[in-house]
Amino acid sequence: MEIEKRIRNRIVRGTRAKVSMNRLKILITVVGRAKADFYMDHIQSFGVNMQMVLFGQGTAPREIATAMGLADSDRAVIISVIGENQLQAALESLAEKFNTIVGGKGIAYTIPMASIIGKSIFNFLSDNRDAVRRNEK
Amino acid sequence: MSGFNHEVIFCIVNTGFSETVMEAAKDAGARGGTILNARGTANKEAESFFHIAIQPEKEIVMILVDAKIKDAVLHALYQKAGLDTMGQGIAFSLPVDNVVGLTPWKAEIKAAEVAAEKAAEKAEVAVENAEKK
Repeated sequence: MEIEKRIRNRIVRGTRAKVSMNRLKILITVVGRAKADFYMDHIQSFGVNMQMVLFGQGTAPREIATAMGLADSDRAVIISVIGENQLQAALESLAEKFNTIVGGKGIAYTIPMASIIGKSIFNFLSDNRDAVRRNEK
Repeated sequence: MSGFNHEVIFCIVNTGFSETVMEAAKDAGARGGTILNARGTANKEAESFFHIAIQPEKEIVMILVDAKIKDAVLHALYQKAGLDTMGQGIAFSLPVDNVVGLTPWKAEIKAAEVAAEKAAEKAEVAVENAEKK
């Protein structure tokens, strides 16, 4: 009860804890299914701790699809949670990979995350290893 | 890569209606989308109370569009695949930043080329005028 009251008061007063360091974003990458594992490994190397992959179909018209080097329409949608600190590097390298890898064309975009609950979840998603080490001491 | 020039539209429809969605979206200026298979859930009690059946098999169509045509696409989806139609679609959009990997649309490239040519011509005329003076 006490905690609930405190939280409600905070929400009413607009003093909810605001994150100023390493805000989280959801990175969505759509690539050909054959390259899904490759891109997942690649994104993971940027300190991403949680990823999901969904399998879907592309709908681009054939002429455009073949011009882009996508012969079949099977796609993978990779959803990753990434910190803003690593975002720029990840996107730049993804853009480079989209343009250079044969059959590795794709798109990527980010959606800002509005809120998250749970300190440990936040630390996990933002790969904040220092916080965990501090707690262990 | 720039902030909030694009939006991603999610449209949840009954299975088999993703083509209707894509046709409507393309008419409104969208270029392509990705279809995901999904399963919907509904309130079982409410379903039996209202004597309606909710088809659990759904398709989610994910369309990345320029923010300028977002409203047009959403309107088209509402009319062609909205809740009143067989597709029983729900569509919403999320702002998106940092887009990477979109190839510029041919028309846009052409428009950019034409604009560049015009600018070059203007510059030439300006130089000529300056020389005359």
